[in-house]
Amino acid sequence: MLVEFELIERARSGDDSAFNQIVQAYRKRILGTISRTIGRPEDVEDVGQEVFLRLYYSLDQLRTPEVFEPWLYRLTVNAAYDYLRRQRRRQESRMSDLSEQQVMLADAAAGSKRRDEEQHRTKVRELAQSLLGQVSEEDRILLTLKEVEGLSLKELEKIYRVNENALKVRLFRARQRVLKAFGAKENKEAVSKAGFGNADDSE
Amino acid sequence: MDRMDDKLDAQLNAMFAEYRMACPDPEPSADFMPGMWKRIEARRVATVSVFKHWAQVCVMATVALTLLIGAVLIPRFQDNSASGSSYLEALSAEHSADYIHMLAGGPR
Repeated sequence: MLVEFELIERARSGDDSAFNQIVQAYRKRILGTISRTIGRPEDVEDVGQEVFLRLYYSLDQLRTPEVFEPWLYRLTVNAAYDYLRRQRRRQESRMSDLSEQQVMLADAAAGSKRRDEEQHRTKVRELAQSLLGQVSEEDRILLTLKEVEGLSLKELEKIYRVNENALKVRLFRARQRVLKAFGAKENKEAVSKAGFGNADDSE
Repeated sequence: MDRMDDKLDAQLNAMFAEYRMACPDPEPSADFMPGMWKRIEARRVATVSVFKHWAQVCVMATVALTLLIGAVLIPRFQDNSASGSSYLEALSAEHSADYIHMLAGGPR
């Protein structure tokens, strides 16, 4: 926990300054999770504000301060899911936008080494986003929380309020789909360019 | 085949780990907190205005109902009760009807 239970209690009873302190403590972490989940840096703050807006108006429904973090993650998952659904409806080409933006960022970066690093990061981001795009929005978020954010099954169980076995099945299926895409011919090229050949080297 | 799957699995794990490093937690902009409070306030105002709207609708409906009762229903009841006969006349009319039933041997 990044804040004391007492602070959460104060925020629950309507203390806006306590709520402000909670947001300040968690905003960076939440923005990071959103950033890796939705893959559009320009919309991260908007979704983040939506998360804390929902938190503000649902804090009175929180049973105990002990379950605050899973609660906050659940709100984050829901806001990211709503965003991804809206994006799909708009049928925007996320990948090309991101690619263009990242290339511009890379071009702006001074020095060739820095530019190379940025280009590598761009490739990694593009690859990850395209692979995560192979599964449904729900599975994409679940997989990101498990594989990228590093949350444990116990933590996911609390967030999703689903038993561990059901989560394992969903994660396995989603991962298999991503793995299939990862192994596909078109991605193999991207994998080799991005330099994920370490498993080979160790043998 | 299994060996290849394991290799691919390890590569995927490495890719996820690199992705985590390629997307560090972003620093919130200076507008983040003011923007959030603005949205909270906007929602509060919207909620209040919805309540206000419904309260106005309720008040209007109550006034309309009161006027309807006052203008239409009350005069009608008054007309029925003021039929021109006194209380004693109405009472004797009721009793005479009972008396006719008794004479006919019908139900009391």
